[in-house]
Amino acid sequence: MTPSAEEGEEPPLEPAPSVALAGDFPSRPTPAEERRSLGALGLDPVWDPSEDLWRVDVPPEGWVAAAVGASDALQHPLSTLFGEAPREAPGTIRVHALFLGIRPSGGVHLRCALDPPRPTLPTLSTTLPYVAPFERELTEMFGVDVSGLADRRPLLLHEHHPNPPLRPGPASAPDGRRVEYSFRPVEGEGIYEVPVGPVHAGVIEPGHFRFQVVGEKILNLEARLGYTHKGTERLFEGKPSDLGSIWAESVSGDMSLAGAAAYAYAVERALDVAAPPGDEVVRGLLLETERIAFLLGDVAGIALDVGYAAGAARANRLREAAYQTLRAATGSRLGRGTIGVGGLRRPIRGNLDPDLATTYARWREAIGRLRDEWLGKSSVVDRLEGTGEISRWVAELMHFVGPVARASGLRIDLRHDRPYGAYVGTEVRVPRGLTGDVRARLVVKVEEIVESCRLAEEFLRRLPADRSPVESPRPPTPGERRSGLGWVESPRGEFLVHVTIGPDARLERVHVRDPSFLNWPAIEFAVRGAILPDFPLCNKSLNLSYSGYDR
Amino acid sequence: MTERTVDPPPRPARGPLLGPADPAASPIRYPLGPLEPPVGPPRTPLHRAERCEGTGACARACPTDAISVDRSLGPTVVELDYGKCLFCGLCIDACPSGAMASVRFEEMAVRDRADLRLRHGPPPPPLAGSRLADEVRERVRRLYGDSLAIRAVDAGSCNGCEVEVAALLWPRYDLERLGIQLVASPRHADALIVTGPVTRNMRLALEKTYRAVPGPSFVVAVGACGISGGPFRDSPEVEGGVDRVLPVEVYVPGCPPSPVSLLYGLWLALGKVDQRLARGEIPADALRGPPR
Repeated sequence: MTPSAEEGEEPPLEPAPSVALAGDFPSRPTPAEERRSLGALGLDPVWDPSEDLWRVDVPPEGWVAAAVGASDALQHPLSTLFGEAPREAPGTIRVHALFLGIRPSGGVHLRCALDPPRPTLPTLSTTLPYVAPFERELTEMFGVDVSGLADRRPLLLHEHHPNPPLRPGPASAPDGRRVEYSFRPVEGEGIYEVPVGPVHAGVIEPGHFRFQVVGEKILNLEARLGYTHKGTERLFEGKPSDLGSIWAESVSGDMSLAGAAAYAYAVERALDVAAPPGDEVVRGLLLETERIAFLLGDVAGIALDVGYAAGAARANRLREAAYQTLRAATGSRLGRGTIGVGGLRRPIRGNLDPDLATTYARWREAIGRLRDEWLGKSSVVDRLEGTGEISRWVAELMHFVGPVARASGLRIDLRHDRPYGAYVGTEVRVPRGLTGDVRARLVVKVEEIVESCRLAEEFLRRLPADRSPVESPRPPTPGERRSGLGWVESPRGEFLVHVTIGPDARLERVHVRDPSFLNWPAIEFAVRGAILPDFPLCNKSLNLSYSGYDR
Repeated sequence: MTERTVDPPPRPARGPLLGPADPAASPIRYPLGPLEPPVGPPRTPLHRAERCEGTGACARACPTDAISVDRSLGPTVVELDYGKCLFCGLCIDACPSGAMASVRFEEMAVRDRADLRLRHGPPPPPLAGSRLADEVRERVRRLYGDSLAIRAVDAGSCNGCEVEVAALLWPRYDLERLGIQLVASPRHADALIVTGPVTRNMRLALEKTYRAVPGPSFVVAVGACGISGGPFRDSPEVEGGVDRVLPVEVYVPGCPPSPVSLLYGLWLALGKVDQRLARGEIPADALRGPPR
């Protein structure tokens, strides 16, 4: 990776306030226009209603042209890329690349069948740099040779595996020999390396950071992950499709509800069932409550890292109240075991405090007051402004998602862009920062908490008065092979689950794309040129999921 | 740094910053005082042998094989392992006879792994555990009873347990009021609390961290993953529990365990409180109201 062009360059001075709410959503092609554009590229797409995407099968030699066409001609970024060993064609590998569009657009789903014994595919990373980690994973998990890929180091596996772990056959155990791994060298007079991790100083997840530093200035940071790799995607295989949410919840455990919901939507779309409308409203309420609790943790963490203990304590008090609200509704502080396929696992509505709307209103006011007090403290604001800047250009080039992208000026949010469940027909205000620094990320997150409280109040109003539980539809046994895509705007951003379900309703392949899989490079951009003591602050403001990346 | 404008904030409204005190967020006395009445629907599964028809539906529904039904001995033997349980409630939904019920019970931590296994049937086989001798335990209490420094290690968790471990420092639980601190370095620590199923990729780092802790020290295994590997126990990428790698003094079940469960586990490790779960049996006085 070369030093980025924005280094040393100041972003435009930003007049207060740093959050804009008025819309400037670019106009997007309609599905019919998408079809014409794909046709002009020589592709013959088929509409797939279980994914809301145009599906196209391409040969390996047409792979790059089709992918670049989808991302350039249609302006859809590559959302995920993954392999599959299709049961109906034993021995072959199928590679999927999904480009999600923003409404009214659909998007594109490219599929490419590769033949054994040496499956080979040309790389997309020369035109789409953020695709490299996907291709590294494809190489180590399926043994696909991605030609032209510059970075051929393993991504998640730290030991040799005699067989690529996601190829069919008995689960392949690591053989105990550690893989070679070298960090990108940065050389010059006075440059030294600081290795950090995998065990970090706080109560956080494990990963290794390698800093190259001169004096206090960070020249380069490289993160090596995989320490929390649990082989989760393989564990889904063979499980009944209504049981998979157990593992989807444990991809990023601090976003259990978002994971379970994305999984549920994927299976529901594949099997063509829909949750009762009342259950969808409750899902929305739970998801927004999870977002409030999660983002309050980021707010508290940023406060703590700048030595603003009073702000951290106040945010953590609110956060505790949010987790207790989840527990009062579901019995689990993280809302586990609640969102199932076809609706809710257990009735929730009877557990809701009739006065709950006033609670959310109170939080909304409290976080607003906290923000005002906070941004009035020059000693706090001074640590936040200009720290860990990520330019809009980098955010767009690297396809960052969630609050990280929004703080850099991108207006993307699946609740608005591809509404699902209770968000269909709901106005979601998407806050956006301009400067892409820690302050912008803090302010965006605070505005999102305020908006989530507002949405929760709206969902409470929309709950059917009849609180008796509604029977959720039982997912049918399809009798044929089905696939589906679920998407949820999790607290960290776009969370995707793609499922393939066999005729016996058992899972054949589940791919989970946590938002942090796209966002991890953000930390490397954010700290470049910063001083080492600002690293924790940058890290906290991005709050990347290690387990979501590693799975 | 460039000059930047700071938008002048409106004056904070008068009155307490957070408005009326939120009872849910106010500090608790536990474990020095009584347990607060728990909120929300109960989630701890309970097996009532007198209602059990031995259908095995619970065992089939369980995603982590925490329940086994054995008919090979003649009478049905139901075993429920709280060390594997995710508290998801699928067994309760599946049970046709109402034998599986749920209660609110958070003081679940044990010293002996076998005490997390409930076994309803003929007498259980003799236990084999990793108990520290009583005099060592007395020494831990004497040494650390009033001041304990803990290093938390994530050995591959999903980050769910980290939420709850970190919550111990929030104003509501305020771990430091008990003389317990979370410290940054294992060199400063008296004990490790370990979460996660111990992934292959974290095993070495966990062992090194353990060796860096000055003795005498002890290890607390947290959550279904830390105890048994939880939902990941079948993966070749995980070791399947902290005690596969390190000697464990106290096990704290849950997915994740609540902050109160963790407080109880630490209090138990310090010898300040008696263990409540014995061979998986939840004490009768802990069942507030009838199970449902």
